Amino acid sequence: MRASILKQNRFLIASVQGSMSDADLVQLRDELGSGVRRHRSTGVIIDVTMLDVMDSFAVRTLRGIAQMVKLLGAECVVVGIQPEVAFSMVQLGLTLEGMTTALDLEDGLDALQARAPVRSSLL
Amino acid sequence: MAKQPSVGAGISEQELVQRKAFLEFRDDDLANLMSINDVARQYADSMIEDFYKHLLSFEETSAFFHDPQVLERVKRAQQQYFLRLTQGNYDLAYAENRLNIGAIHERIGLPVKAYLGMYNYYLRAVATRLVEAYRDAPKQAWTGFLSLMKLTFLDIGLAIDTYINSRERTIREQQEAIQELPTPVLPFREGMLLVPIIGLIDSQRARLLTEQLLSAVRANRAKVVVMDITGVQAVDSKVGNHLVQTVEAARLMGATVILAGVSPEIAQTMVTVGIELGRMTTVGDLQSGIERAEELLGYTVTRTRTRSQAT
Repeated sequence: MRASILKQNRFLIASVQGSMSDADLVQLRDELGSGVRRHRSTGVIIDVTMLDVMDSFAVRTLRGIAQMVKLLGAECVVVGIQPEVAFSMVQLGLTLEGMTTALDLEDGLDALQARAPVRSSLL
Repeated sequence: MAKQPSVGAGISEQELVQRKAFLEFRDDDLANLMSINDVARQYADSMIEDFYKHLLSFEETSAFFHDPQVLERVKRAQQQYFLRLTQGNYDLAYAENRLNIGAIHERIGLPVKAYLGMYNYYLRAVATRLVEAYRDAPKQAWTGFLSLMKLTFLDIGLAIDTYINSRERTIREQQEAIQELPTPVLPFREGMLLVPIIGLIDSQRARLLTEQLLSAVRANRAKVVVMDITGVQAVDSKVGNHLVQTVEAARLMGATVILAGVSPEIAQTMVTVGIELGRMTTVGDLQSGIERAEELLGYTVTRTRTRSQAT
């Protein structure tokens, strides 16, 4: 597994380390799915800062994660796509249609906080 | 392109040989020309006098000879050239010299039509004198004239090349200057970048622009980028698609791009070539672009004084 998943309050933060094999991506998807359930998370951030290649399988998996997370009642944000990666993705026609993206972890957290559903909490 | 002689670079031996071959300038032409050298010397003075009388009778060409000293000097140079035509040895040094003379004429702004007209006068004047000198041997006059014509056409070719090369160099330099126009990426407000694009965009520049823009988004943590294309005359399908790609790539990095300054012509082209505008935010002018960006970022701009109060 080349991704670590951290829990921060209501959010899960998955940091992808370097290059990911297809199997790693599938594993990430499964763990995020169960993680959201277990922690009752309202948002998931996938940080791809370290990723230098984003192929069609990775994009498809990311989209799958986003849809899955949505079905589980949470929001998903992809953060840290590097300029070179962004441009080559666009040239390949992989534009993460319908997904939320942000510059980095900080902006991603802001985005989630702005749109995450408010939950009742104990004082 | 290597074969083309340029003004500074001169002309290659091979190129000169090729040019002579095309004009069928052969050894007997050389002999013919040298055989009329005596006649040329004999007629040189009257020939040059007539030539300049002709030039001075036209406003366009006489303008170059206002200064009597200049006139005297060019007359001497012209006489040398006239005699040189029949002195043989039309080698590389000869060609280089012709290129230089062409370059000088180009620099002083002598129009090509005048240059060609002068050669035409030259040939006609020489022909008349040759016929006169070889009244008893018309064949010799004729062959001498033909050889001279080949040589002068060689000279004309070289001179015209200097004109063309110089123009081409100017065009190339201008194109480079346009392409090298810097495209600054300006932080305008926190989280907002302003990118004014001026001049021609080709694929290479568009690519560079995208790279600059994307790294600026990262460096400035920009959320909104206003790209102003008021100074862009034309957008073709390639560049249009590139703009769309830039917008998409910026979105992947969490930034929104607003395309400002779209002229009606560019809008028309973009529609015609079918550029996907759906995912692009476009506005008419820079002001609207900035207003839209401020709205997205949650800025409100309030005027604290009216204009009359501001001194």
